[in-house]
Amino acid sequence: MSRASYLKPDTVALHAGYVPESDHGSRAVPIYQTTSYVFESVSDGSSLFNVEQGGHIYSRITNPTVAVLEQRIAALEGGSGAICTASGMSALFTAFITLCSAGDHLVSATQIYGSTATLLKHTIKRLGIECSFIPINDEQALRDAIQPNTKMVFCESIGNPGLEIADIPAISAIAHEAGIPLVVDATFATPSLCRPIDHGADIVVHSVTKWMGGHGVAIGGAIVDGGRFDWAQSGRFPELTEPYAPFHGIRFWEEFGPSALAMKMRAESMRDVGAAMSPHNAFLILQGIETLNLRMKQHVANARQLLEWLQQQESVIWTNYPDMESNPSHTLAATLFPQGAGSMLCFGVVGGRAGGAAFIDSLQLASNLANVGDARTLVLHPASTTHSRLTVADMKAAGISEDMIRVSVGIEDIADIKADFMRGFKAAQRVERAA
Amino acid sequence: MYLEVRGNRTYAATGGKEFDNGLPTVMFVHGSGLDHRSWALQTRWFAYNGYSVLAPDLPGHSLSAGKPLTSIEDMGAWLAEFIRAAGADSVHAVGHSQGFLDVLELARQAPELLKSITGIGTAGAIPVNPALIDAAADNAGAAAEMLLMWGFGPDAQYGVSAVPGMQPIAIGRQIMARNPLYEDLVACNEYHNGSTVAKGIDLPSQLILARKDLLTPVKAGLAFAEELNARVTIIERYGHMLPIEAPRQTLDKLRELIGGLERSARGNK
Repeated sequence: MSRASYLKPDTVALHAGYVPESDHGSRAVPIYQTTSYVFESVSDGSSLFNVEQGGHIYSRITNPTVAVLEQRIAALEGGSGAICTASGMSALFTAFITLCSAGDHLVSATQIYGSTATLLKHTIKRLGIECSFIPINDEQALRDAIQPNTKMVFCESIGNPGLEIADIPAISAIAHEAGIPLVVDATFATPSLCRPIDHGADIVVHSVTKWMGGHGVAIGGAIVDGGRFDWAQSGRFPELTEPYAPFHGIRFWEEFGPSALAMKMRAESMRDVGAAMSPHNAFLILQGIETLNLRMKQHVANARQLLEWLQQQESVIWTNYPDMESNPSHTLAATLFPQGAGSMLCFGVVGGRAGGAAFIDSLQLASNLANVGDARTLVLHPASTTHSRLTVADMKAAGISEDMIRVSVGIEDIADIKADFMRGFKAAQRVERAA
Repeated sequence: MYLEVRGNRTYAATGGKEFDNGLPTVMFVHGSGLDHRSWALQTRWFAYNGYSVLAPDLPGHSLSAGKPLTSIEDMGAWLAEFIRAAGADSVHAVGHSQGFLDVLELARQAPELLKSITGIGTAGAIPVNPALIDAAADNAGAAAEMLLMWGFGPDAQYGVSAVPGMQPIAIGRQIMARNPLYEDLVACNEYHNGSTVAKGIDLPSQLILARKDLLTPVKAGLAFAEELNARVTIIERYGHMLPIEAPRQTLDKLRELIGGLERSARGNK
């Protein structure tokens, strides 16, 4: 098991990264709402700029409140360090461009979030970085897709929105055989349910906007450096092993070893791209993380109860939840997510696309919006929203059907969620009868 | 930089600048199971402020080849060979924990290579709990866990880091997982010459101790400082891993002694 703290996970979620500051003894993490930090002297400023000592210079690069969140997330995931960013997408972009340059290649699962697919297929292609897509657990396809210039394998631990489970141990073994790291977007699981580094992943990315924050009030992302990947032995990453000109020829691997990647991301991407998280957002996300484990237990319990109930409804054509027994992922999900495979579930409703629309439009408790991981129940029709930019074929490959309703099950009383959904089924039935 | 010592490719961090034997040199010696990265927040400062830096990985540790050395006496001898191989005339030697025992032996065997000695989180002898040695023999990972749990002070145990966003315990764990901890711990445990060696040392000396050190308690460090006639600083609230836990305070004390000695030396010329 990878560990960054000897405290138990519930304690880490509440305490890691902060002890009451000495000036006022603030029990809560203070919000350092400042752009910059006064140097003690010219010499002090110079040594901070030259990475001769740790500390803060400018909040685009580091901020004390954001640093607490970074240290807490690193501790929760068992990583050597973390970098927080303005959003989950900027976390992914930072991870991709830190490891890949023009002329490089990466391999990604097909079953990923629509905007991530767009980023990989179109945006980074403009920067000269190519991506091959493979079905997530097709080991032969993965082996075949890895090229001499491949710099990473990417997947989501639970695919969005198809809820496919990535076989992280098997995928990481293949990646490591080839000398490349595995990057896992673990947004749907959170470290409360699965710590990808424990299963062989090298880098973990989160949209902390979702369950980590948990209340739908702040956008943010995080990248966790697992610290275990040997960048020198791989031989594929001169960016980390050779002199880096903008910092007097610093060699990140030699100087920082297990935190080389995190230091490089900080020194380069946070400086140059500037996708910094605001201290206020860091504070809000910290409040969410304090109750992460409690919330995830309730999210999972509600998801399981709702699934069971949905499967008994005549208006439901199909259901999908990663660890339901009929799901091919069931055994893998039980292994990687012993406390439950998250709180996302999908189902198809009678009446086709129009029935789905009627279902969503009639709900009162659940909110129809483009987010997941709120404490409240959220619903969405992916084919007409998050994945609408994909072709029908790409949508199918990503595990999406036109009648799919995606549910992010909240922590309300389950009876109220069921009553709300019953209202939706009646509306869908009316559409079906009219047709 | 890489150099040959005893026929093995040996790595020494130089703080991000090329080694220049025309400058006063500070040599940093890591502790059991660790490597040059323990000194990341001291070496760069010295390298960019008028000094040359040498922070070797001992044989078999991290980026250095060779079999791990099995006695403190041999580590001291190896350091003398290393300094000569690097082309340094004499150095200010800084050792953390076991690294300071190595420095003591270097002082006994080749005092002409030294300008000053500084020990951090250390004492004249470092007896190691037999359970820890047994654990290291059977399962280096488990032994590393014990060292990290006892070695880092309260703030680090709560995930607080001097470098924003980092987790020192996880970093230490990754480094120790790759290094020969058992040999280092046995060498530490079997070294009993510290008091005798101290009597023969005639060099400016200092010990930087940590109030919350559970591995080399302050009491042992203070007793040895008396034997060595060394100046002593106790840094409050931190544990044994001072160079990582309290890098700035550690650096400040190193600057005071080494900077003062170099200023005096220049003044005397």
